[in-house]
Amino acid sequence: MQHLLLNLQAAAAPSFSDKAYLNTGDNAWQMTAATFVALMSVPGLAVLFGGLVQKKWVVNTILMTFAGFATVLIVWVLWAYHMGFGSPLFRGANWKASSDPITNFFANFIGRPGTTLSSQGEEAQASIPLVNPGMPPFALPNASVVYFQFVFAAITPLLFLGSVLSRIKFKVWLIFVPLWTSLAYTVNAFLLWGGGYWAQQGAGDFSGGYVIHLAAGTSGFVAAAMVGPRIKKDRERALPHSLPLVAIGAGIVWLGWNGFNGGDPYFASADAATAVINTNMATAAALLMWVAWDMFLGPAKKPTFLGAVNGMVVGLVAITPSAGYVNGAGALLVGAIDSTIVWMAWTYLSRASFMKKVDDAMGIVYTHGIAGLMGGILLGVFADPTVVEYQSVNGAKISITGALYGHPKQVLIQFLAGVTVILWDALVTFAILKVISFFTPLRMTDEECEVGDLAVHDEEAYPETEGVSRVLPGYSTSPPVPAPASVHASSSLPVGGGA
Amino acid sequence: MVLVTAVVKPHALDAVREALSYLGVAGMTITEVKGFGRQRGHTEVYRGAEYRVEYLPKLKVEVLSTAEMADEVVETIAKAARTGKIGDGKIWVTAVDAVTRIRTGETGPSAI
Repeated sequence: MQHLLLNLQAAAAPSFSDKAYLNTGDNAWQMTAATFVALMSVPGLAVLFGGLVQKKWVVNTILMTFAGFATVLIVWVLWAYHMGFGSPLFRGANWKASSDPITNFFANFIGRPGTTLSSQGEEAQASIPLVNPGMPPFALPNASVVYFQFVFAAITPLLFLGSVLSRIKFKVWLIFVPLWTSLAYTVNAFLLWGGGYWAQQGAGDFSGGYVIHLAAGTSGFVAAAMVGPRIKKDRERALPHSLPLVAIGAGIVWLGWNGFNGGDPYFASADAATAVINTNMATAAALLMWVAWDMFLGPAKKPTFLGAVNGMVVGLVAITPSAGYVNGAGALLVGAIDSTIVWMAWTYLSRASFMKKVDDAMGIVYTHGIAGLMGGILLGVFADPTVVEYQSVNGAKISITGALYGHPKQVLIQFLAGVTVILWDALVTFAILKVISFFTPLRMTDEECEVGDLAVHDEEAYPETEGVSRVLPGYSTSPPVPAPASVHASSSLPVGGGA
Repeated sequence: MVLVTAVVKPHALDAVREALSYLGVAGMTITEVKGFGRQRGHTEVYRGAEYRVEYLPKLKVEVLSTAEMADEVVETIAKAARTGKIGDGKIWVTAVDAVTRIRTGETGPSAI
C-alpha cells in the first residue's frame, strides 16, 4: 500500500518532459556556470581580499563579503532582477521609437521592478523581453537565468568593497549595497544586457567589462572618496597578512571566470567554449605581461606574486567584454595590451596627486575600472564577425564587427557606452552615500580602526587559546587570574609586574 | 650602565621609537609579549559562546643606556607611550654589569 502511494506521488509530480522549452544540457551548464561565478565571490573574493588586508581586518573583510552576497540576492528576487532584465519601465503601451535620442535613451533605461517569487517566476521559460527577438529562444527556466544574473549582480559590489575596506561601517555597507544594486547595477544591466539603449546601439559587453568591472572601479573610487581614507597607519602600512590566502582566492577567481564568461551565451554552445578558452588565453598573456613589466621597469626589477595576481585580474577583466566576440589571436592581444596599460597606470598615474588623495584600498579603479574600460574599447578593435554568438536568429548570425574588420565606429559606440556607465554609477554612488551620511557616519571611529576586528565583531581571525577562559551564561566574568600564591608567598609587597 | 625596559601598547611603538631617536638613542630591542595588569582582558564571542581573553598583546622595548641618561630615557618613553588610559604600560630600570659590542669587541659605555 505504501509502495503504491509513493508511485502515485511520483506520477503526480511534474516531470521535466512537460517543460518542452527546456534543454537539459544548456540548463546543466547554466547552473554550473552560475555556481562557478558564485564561488568567485564566496569564498574567492573573501579570501583574496582577506589575504590582502592586515591581520586585524580579516574577519571584517570576510563578513562584509558574505553579508553583501546575501543582501544582493534578497533585493534581486524581490525587485531588482526585473529592473535589469524585465520590460522597460518608462514606456507606454503604444510606445514607438522616437527620433529624439534623449527620449529613446530613457525609454530604454531601466526595467519595471517585480519579483521572481511565483512558480511561474521560477519554472516558466526564461525571457528577457527586449532581448528575446534578437537571440534563439531560451532553453532555460527563469530560475537559471535569475540565479545566473544574480551572481553577477552580487560580485559587483563585492569587487568595490575592495576600495572601501578597513574603514567603512558594517551597517552602512548593508544599507549601501541593496540601494546600489537597485539604482546603479540595474541600469548598467538594462542598458547593455536587458536590451536597453546601448544594446540597441550595438554596444557589446559579453560578460560585464562595463556592467560589472567599469561599474565597480568607478563606484569604488567614488565611494572611497566619500568614506575617506583608512587611518594613517593602516594606509601607510597596508601590508598583506597572507599571500597563500591570496593565492587560494586568486585561483578560485581565475577558474571561476570560466563560468563568468562561458555562461553568458545562455547556451552550452561553441561560442561558450570559445569564451572559456579566450578568457584563459587573455589571462595568461596579461599575467605574464605584468610580471615582465615588473622585471623590467618595477621598483626592484623583480618578479612578484602579487604583481602576477594583478596581471591575472586585469586579463580576466580585459577579456570579459569580448570573450565570445574575438578570436584567439584577439584574446591574446587584448590581454597583453590591457595588462600593459593598467601596469603603466598602476605605476605612474597612481603618483598623480588626485589619485593619491583617494584611498582606493585594493586599487580597484585600476584593475577593474581602467581594465574594464580598456577591455570594452579593445572589443571595438578586435571583435571578429566570424566569431558567432548565435548561429541563426531570423536567418542572421549574431556577432560584432570591430575596427580591424572594417567597422571603426564600434570603438566610438563602446567608448560612449563606457562613459554612460561611468557617469551614472559615479552619480548614484555619490547620491546614495551622501543621503546615508545624513543619518549615520559612513566610517568607523578611529579607535575602532585602530583595533580592527576585535573592536567591531568581538572575533579575530586567528584567536589564541592561551589565557582564554569560557564565560558561562549566568556567571559574572572573572577578574584576571592572580599570579600563583606560592611564588610570592614570602612577599608582603604588591605583586604583579604586568602592564 | 642600565637596561631600561618598557612594556607599552603596540600602537605606541612608532611614537616611542621616534622620540628615542630624537633623544639620540641608537638602538633598541622589541619583543612581542602578552600580559595583564590593571587593564583587564577583553571578551571574544565565537558561535554564541563568550570567552574571556585574560592576556593582552603588548610590546616590550629594551634600551641600554648610561646611568646618567636613564631618567631622560624613561621620561621620553613615558611621554611618548602615554594615552592616559588604563593599559598604557610600565617602565623599569635595572643595573647592567657589562656590555660588549660583538663586532668591535668594545666594552663598557662606549659599547652602548
